Amino acid sequence: MYLGVDIGSSASKAVILDKEGQIQATAVVNTGAGSSGVDLAVRQALGKAGLTDTQIKRCVATGYGRVLFERADKQITEISCHAKGVRHIQKEAKTIIDIGGQDAKVIRLRDSGAVENFIMNEKCAAGTGRFLEVMSLVLGCPLSQLSDLVKKGKTGVSISSVCTVFAESEMISQLSSGQTAADVAFGAMESIAQRISGMGNRIGIIPAVVMSGGAALNQALVDSVEAAVGQPILRLADPQIIGALGAAKYALELA
Amino acid sequence: MNKILQIIRQLESAGENPKETIRKSMAQSGKKAIGCFPIYAPEELVYSAGFLPIGMWGGPKNGTLSDRYLQTFCCSIMKANTELALSGSYDMLSGIILTAYCDTMKCIMENWKMALPHLRLIPMVYPQNRKAASGVAFMEEEFTRVKAQLEELRGGQITEQELTEAVDCYDDYRRTMQQFTKLASRHPAIFTARRRHAVIKAASFMDKRVYTEKMKQIICGLEKLEPEVTDHKRVILTGLMAEPAEVLDLLEENRLFVAADDLAQETRQFSVIAPKKGSAIERMAQRIAMQDGCTFLYDAEKSRGIRLMELKKQYNADAIIFCQLKFCDPDEFDYPIIKKQMEAAEIPLLHIELEQQMESLGQIRTRLQGFAEILE
Repeated sequence: MYLGVDIGSSASKAVILDKEGQIQATAVVNTGAGSSGVDLAVRQALGKAGLTDTQIKRCVATGYGRVLFERADKQITEISCHAKGVRHIQKEAKTIIDIGGQDAKVIRLRDSGAVENFIMNEKCAAGTGRFLEVMSLVLGCPLSQLSDLVKKGKTGVSISSVCTVFAESEMISQLSSGQTAADVAFGAMESIAQRISGMGNRIGIIPAVVMSGGAALNQALVDSVEAAVGQPILRLADPQIIGALGAAKYALELA
Repeated sequence: MNKILQIIRQLESAGENPKETIRKSMAQSGKKAIGCFPIYAPEELVYSAGFLPIGMWGGPKNGTLSDRYLQTFCCSIMKANTELALSGSYDMLSGIILTAYCDTMKCIMENWKMALPHLRLIPMVYPQNRKAASGVAFMEEEFTRVKAQLEELRGGQITEQELTEAVDCYDDYRRTMQQFTKLASRHPAIFTARRRHAVIKAASFMDKRVYTEKMKQIICGLEKLEPEVTDHKRVILTGLMAEPAEVLDLLEENRLFVAADDLAQETRQFSVIAPKKGSAIERMAQRIAMQDGCTFLYDAEKSRGIRLMELKKQYNADAIIFCQLKFCDPDEFDYPIIKKQMEAAEIPLLHIELEQQMESLGQIRTRLQGFAEILE
C-alpha cells in the first residue's frame, strides 16, 4: 500500500493507493501545517482501509507542511503532486487551477502529464481559500453555505481591491451602504475569479481545465472562475484530495 | 588543496560578515573608507585617492527609521541602506558616492542630503545615452567632478599615474574574476550557491588588490583540480542580486548549481574590462559605454536576453532563474521581454521575487522545488 499526504495551510489530507493504483481510502482533517491534523488524517485513512502503519510500503508528502513530515520517504511539491493526481483521474487535463488555503497556482501540463510551467500567487492571500474564509466571516455565512449565498446574488457590486484585507473593508463598506449579503458575496467571488484569471493569463490557459484544492469544493467559485477564464472547467468529485492522491501515486511509482 | 579551501572559506566569511570585514580592511590597509552605492560607482576614483571603496548593498536590517523618507514600495536595498545610515552605521565612512539608476535612488539623494547632513555625500548621475559621444563626454565630466570632491576629501590632487594604476588594478580584478567564475562553474561541490555568492561579494568590502591576490591563489588551486561530476541541474541567475543567502541554500537543497550569473551585484561588476586606450577617465567612461545587457544602464538593443542565451550555452546550463528584487522597477520592465525570449528559445525560466529581509521562505521553497522537479 502507498500513502500520500498533503499537509496544507488549513487542512491535512491522506490517500492510500493499492499496487494497482486504486484508491483504498481517503481522509481530510480540517487542520493543517503545524498541527497534529496530518497524523489524524493518516490514522483515519488507515482505519478506513483496515490497514496498519507497517503495511504502508512507501509514503510521499506534499503541501506547505511537507518538509516537516518525517515519516515521508520523499517530499514533492504540490505542483507536481496536483499534476500527478489530476492526470490519474482526468487524462485530458492540460491546465490545473489549484486554490488552496493560502496559495493559488495555475499549472500547465504537457501532453505527457509532466508539468510544463506554473505560476503561484505572491505572498498576498487574494485569490486563495483564505479570502473565502474572510468573506464567510464578514458576511456572517458559514463557509459551507457560501456557495448557496453567492448563487442568490447578482452582478453589480464591485469588490475592486486585490488585497484580502482591503477587500474585507470594501465588503463591510458595501454592506453598510445597503447592499445585500448575497450581492456582496457575488461581487467578492467575481473578484477572486478575476484574480485567478489574471494569473492564468500570465501563463496561458489551455483546455481541458481542471480545478483542484479545497476551494474548488465551492461550486460558486468554480462557476465564477469558469466565467472569468472563458473555458469550461471539468468538475472533480473530490478536488480537495488531489494533492494527496498525486503524492500517493508518486509513492507507488517510486517504489 | 587544504590551503585553497582555507582561502575560499576566509573569503566566504568576509562576504558574509561585511561589518567585521570592513573594520579589518581599514585596519590592515590604514585607509579611510568611502561608501559606494550600487551598481557601477567609480570605485577606481576612490581607490586612486587612497580610500577604501566599500560596496553598499543593503543587508538584513529592518526598522522604522527609513519609513520617514521612503514609501513601502521602495526596494529593500535602499530601505536597508537608509535604515543603516539613519541608525549611524555609516558614520565611520569618510564619504558616500550616491548613484542614480532608478527613481528611488534619485529621491534618496535628496532625502539623505536633508536627513544626514553630517555625512559627506557625493551624488553622481549616469547618462542615458552612454554610447553617444555626448554621453561619453558627460560621463567623463561626472567622473572628473567626483574626482575633484575626492581630492578635496583627500586634501590633495590625484595624479594621472595614481588613477591609471587604480584603473589597471580594477582591470586586473575584473579579469581575475572572469577567470574565477569560469573555473567555479566546474566545481559544484566546492562552490555551493551561498559560498559562490559570499566569495564574490567579499570584493565589496576588501582592498581590491588584496582580494585579487587571494582570488589568484584560489584560481591557481582550482586549475589543478579535475572538474566535479554531480547530478545538480545547472542554472544561471539574473537580476540585481540573489539575497538573502537563505534563498541560495534552497538552491542547494534542490540540487540546483549556479553555473554562472548575470547579477548586477556579482558578474556584472566585472564582465566588462576598460579598454587600454586613452586617459584613465576616458577608459572608465568607455567601460560604462560598453556595459550592455544591464537594465540599469539604458540599452536600446535590450540585449540582456541574448546575453542570457549565450551564457546558457557557454556554461551548459539547464535553466534561468530571474531574481526579481521586490519593487525594482528596471528589472520589472525587463522581465516580460526576457520571458518572451526564453519561451521562444524553449529555455526554462523561473521568476522569484525576493526581499533582503525575507523571513518566510515557504513559497520560494515551493517555487524552487517545483522548478527543480520540472527540470528533472
